[in-house]
Order: sequence, then structure tokens, then C-alpha cells
Amino acid sequence: MADVTASPPARPIRDSGGTTLGRRHRREGILRAAGLTAILLAVGMLLLMLGALALSGYQAFTQTHATIDVPLEPDLIDAGNPAAANWRTVMRRAGEATLPGADAETLRTFRDILSDGAQYAVRDRVVADPSLIGTTLRIAVPLSDPYDQLHKGLVDRATPEANRRVSDAEIAVYDRLAADGRVGARFNWALFSAADSRFPELAGLRGALVGSFYTLAICFALAFPIGIGAAIYLEEFAPKNRVSDFIEVNINNLAAVPSVVFGLLALSVFINWFGLPRSAPFVGGLTLALMVMPTIIIATRASLKAVPPSIREAALGVGASPQQVVFQHVLPLAMPGIMTGTIIGMAHALGETAPLLLIGMNAFITAAPATPFDSATTLPTQIFIWADSPERGFVSRTSAAILVLLGVLLAMNALAIWLRSRFERRW
Amino acid sequence: MDDSRRVERDVTADEVKIAARDVQVHYGANHALKDVSVDILDKTVTAFIGPSGCGKSTFLRCLNRMNDTIASCRVDGRIELEGEDIYDPRVDPVQLRAKVGMVFQKPNPFPKSIYDNVAYGPKIHGHTRSKAELDGIVEQSLRRAALWTEVKDRLGAPGTGLSGGQQQRLCIARAIATGPEVLLMDEPCSALDPIATAQVEELIDELRSQFSVVIVTHSMQQAARVSQRTAFFHLGHLVEYGETGTIFTNPSDPRTESYISGRIG
Repeated sequence: MADVTASPPARPIRDSGGTTLGRRHRREGILRAAGLTAILLAVGMLLLMLGALALSGYQAFTQTHATIDVPLEPDLIDAGNPAAANWRTVMRRAGEATLPGADAETLRTFRDILSDGAQYAVRDRVVADPSLIGTTLRIAVPLSDPYDQLHKGLVDRATPEANRRVSDAEIAVYDRLAADGRVGARFNWALFSAADSRFPELAGLRGALVGSFYTLAICFALAFPIGIGAAIYLEEFAPKNRVSDFIEVNINNLAAVPSVVFGLLALSVFINWFGLPRSAPFVGGLTLALMVMPTIIIATRASLKAVPPSIREAALGVGASPQQVVFQHVLPLAMPGIMTGTIIGMAHALGETAPLLLIGMNAFITAAPATPFDSATTLPTQIFIWADSPERGFVSRTSAAILVLLGVLLAMNALAIWLRSRFERRW
Repeated sequence: MDDSRRVERDVTADEVKIAARDVQVHYGANHALKDVSVDILDKTVTAFIGPSGCGKSTFLRCLNRMNDTIASCRVDGRIELEGEDIYDPRVDPVQLRAKVGMVFQKPNPFPKSIYDNVAYGPKIHGHTRSKAELDGIVEQSLRRAALWTEVKDRLGAPGTGLSGGQQQRLCIARAIATGPEVLLMDEPCSALDPIATAQVEELIDELRSQFSVVIVTHSMQQAARVSQRTAFFHLGHLVEYGETGTIFTNPSDPRTESYISGRIG
């Protein structure tokens, strides 16, 4: 016994291998490797998704245009009321001027190559500047979708004519225009400045962007104050009893309710019962506010709870009223956490589709909403509509719209991080 | 019962600031404070001593109704501040706490500037009409808390950036800025090192000239050093209350003697 205490067994601090120490190191190595693999896998998947989107979406950011000559003859266009002119006839003359000596068949193909929106582009230009009447206007107008695809190389000329969307004769007319140097791709401003359209070359996200903005603004205006108010009451003032427990459990449950259920609720209550308009961002905002509120309440309560009680005691100790304690001390300290919760909720709302489908926000609407009570789509429902459209041009536009949605999301998160860092205080 | 006679004699000698009669405190089913009757004198430092959980902090928190914030807490009995029942339904605890300031165990300055920490109380109570007046109160409070010379050049710096002892003196400045008549201190030195403790104790002695100070402490040396009167609490009872010298040298209750000599605690 005395011997043992006198000379304890030697314990080398260097790893001799095969001991428990070695096993411990191996386990740690495995854990690290597993963590690293998980991160690489997640990043890889994300890059794959973004890459696929960018690959199929980048072509939607350009649109093929043809530069045409439009003789603006005073006998066709009344300078007093240019909008009322027969623009079809004007475009006919434009064909003759752009392709001099072409036969009737070629001219018809020429008008087919141009987008249906071409005559409106010319009209708007002349209405904006009536002094152009009498001159020949040189203007770039969008090509219709099949020729846009042809220009972008998405139509294979080697395919048998019967299986192609454009015939050899049509390609010949396009090639003549191209040979004249009249065809070229430009940045597709219409993607942001135009509302939805049947024609891919004219379709844009303006209606969806404005619709999403109104929807989120109303969602935020309702969910943020009500959510924070509810959280403050529950956390700071409500007596802790069965009723408040019951409310708490139900708020947590509400956060887990599938979003489509909120859509059904909105359909039956807001639209059928209250008689609010269908497809309106106002109703969309109300619906999403219901969905986001539990998230905001839970996040706010958690951050209120995280404020050290010593701050509350200090404020009460100098004679602050409970209301002053909350608004002058606790809430400012909880603000970064509240911001985080709110932004998660708003990002969720921005991408939400299912409840909006049920209240009709997937309607085909060709004008951006002027007020939150006009019919509109939102970014995710617009993506849903485009993904469903048969025209080839909508394939890339769907991906482009997703990229725009992700861009908006990123901008919102950046704003949130900036706001949070401004509110951040230490104690 | 010699003891009560001595208390009576002192009452005639000094003015009673707070008179507590038969105070009972329950936390739910737990009877934390039993039949406590104490007269706290003006311009005197009164120390509450006793083992942990004996109810001394609970009693201290009754004096400015900080216990109101604990839902399960129930206070019975009568506590009078200058003859006014502080548990009267017409008394606003907010007004009461401006008159009865409190300093806590752990320094807890607001995460604001040193200036704002001190100015907060006078601001919310509307004690000042002008910025200059507020500046005056801040300076005076910091001077009384013996902190002015250390912080006068950085009043805009965050109060949380000060050292522990400075933070506690800042909290004392914050408490006296509202112009209280009583200052409650709940183990104000337990988180401080000996040097900071000595500074705070010196400060307490100076504050005695203006306020009635009540201090809860675990350190009997501290109670002996700073207080004129001492109350010994044990298991929710006020065992003995009297002049500090008498309590420490010649306690009348055997429990007090055991505690002071270190046999219970």
C-alpha cells in the first residue's frame, strides 16, 4: 500500500497509440470530418442550385431586338391625336421601308418576326414626341419569342423543318435582317419595367415586384406592431396562469400550421365573409401577417427573456414605471433579436406561395397594381404562373424571376443585418 | 425584553424614518418573513445581518415595494414611511421608489452613458426644468458618490465600461440622483474587491449625513464598521435589533451570539 502511493504508475503525456487517448483523438477526427462533409455538402448543393438557375436564367436578362425603319407618314398619323392612328398600317409601311423590294410573303413573315408589342413601342415613342411625324423613325423593337430563341441559339437549324418552330422561309427573312446588321441582343429592361404578358418577350416582373412590395408592407405593418405588442404583454405583464399557458401553447402551434391552411382561412373569412377583393395585395398581406405573427411573437418573447433581470430591477429601483422599464430599457436591448425574428418571418412571407394561390394572387394581370386593393401577383406566384406557361421563352424567364426573388431576399437580409448592427448594444 | 426598552429610548432620541409592524411575507406557500417589527432611524446606517435565506433581503425589498414584481409574493402587516403606510392602495410604488432608492448586489448600470445613467431618475420624475439644472444634479450625485473626479472627463462613455467598484458607485450616484430619503443597499460590496469595498464603505458613512441607509450584508465586520444599528434575522424572524456595539459585544439572544461567534450560519 505504501509502495503504491510512493510511486504512482508512470503516465506518459505523449500518445503511445492504441490507448484510450488514441481512441479519443480518432473520435474527434471523425466528428470534425463529418461536420466538414456536411458543410461542404450543403455549400455544394447551394452552388449547384444557383448554378442551374443562372445557367437557365441568364438568357432572360437579354432580349433580341431588331432595328427597323418606320416611316411616320402624316397622312396616316394625326399629329393632334397620334395614339388613334392605325398603327398596323404604319408597321406594314415599316416592313416595306426596312426590307425594300420584299414580296408580300416576306413582309408577312417580317411582321411575325417582330413582337406583337413592336407597334406599341413605336406608338409610345411617337405619342411622347409628336414632332417625329413626317420623318422616318429608326427604332429597336423586340423580336417575338421563337426568333429570340433562334438568335440565342436555342433553335437548332439542323432539326428537320417539320419539327422546328420556325420554317426555312422564316429563317431566311431573319437571316436577311441579321445580315443587314439589324438584329442584336440588349439588356432586357422589360423584365423589370413591364407587367405580365402572354408574350414572353413582353412579360416582366413589375406587377409582381409591386404586388410583393404592397403585400409585404401590409404584412409588416400588421404583424410587427401586433406581434411585438402581444409578446410584450405575454412576457412582461400577463399573469402566469393557465390562460396564459394556453395562449402560449397555441401561439407555438400556430407557428407550425401549414401555410395553405392560412390561405383557406383567408379565402373563407377575408374574401367570402368580409367581401374583400380577390387577388388583392391587401388580402395577401393580411393572410401573410397571420402566418408571420407567431414567428415574431416567439422571437420577441425569446429576446425579451434574454434581457438580464438586473436591468429591470435597476430601472424599477430608480422609480421607472413598468411601462417605462419595458420601452426605455428592455425593448431597446431586445431589439436586435426582435429584428432577426422579424426578418426571418418577412423572408418567409416573401417566398410564400400556397396561401396566395388560394386567394387568387396567381391571376393573369397585365398591369402593375396602383393600390394594395388592385389585383396583383407576387414574385412567387408569378414564378408559379410562368413555370406553368407553355411558351419556350418562359423557361428562362422563370429562372430569371427566381434569381430576382433571391436577390430581393438577399437585399432584405442585408438591410436587416445593417439595422441589427445599428441597434446592437452591450451590457 | 430589555431590548425593546432600549429601542424605545432610541426612538425618543432619533427620528423614526420607517416603522414596520408585524410584517409577514409569503412566497406562495412559503412563509419567508414572520412578525417583523422594526423602527429604522433617520440619518443612521442600519445593517441587516443573518445567514443566507433568513429573510433580510426580502425585508429590504419590502421597504420600497420591489417585491411587488414577484407575482407569488404577498406582504402583510404595516410599513410606514414617515407615518404614511407604503402599502396603501393610493400609494404609487413609482413615487415611493423615488423616495426610497435602492442599490443592488451586482452593479447593474444601464447600457447607456455615465451621464444618462445618473440623469435617468431625475428625468423620469421631472425633477429638472433645464439641461443646466440636470447637469448640476448629475455632477452633485457623482461627487457625493465619490466618482466625479474619475469620470468627469468621460461622462459620455458607457457606464458598463467602468470597473466593478466604479460601476457600483455609479449605481449609488444613480440612486441618490432622484433625491431619496432612504437608501437601501442589498449586499452592495459582495461583488467588489477589498479596495472598492473600502471606498463604498467610506461613502456609506458620508451618505449617513443626508439619508437613512439600510444595508444588507453577509460580512459582520462590515456591519460593525459601517452601521450604528444592527438587526439580526434568523429563519424569517427578527431575532434582535439594537445598537451595533451592543449586538456585537453583548447580544441578548443566544442565537445572535452563536451567529456572531460563527457557530451558526
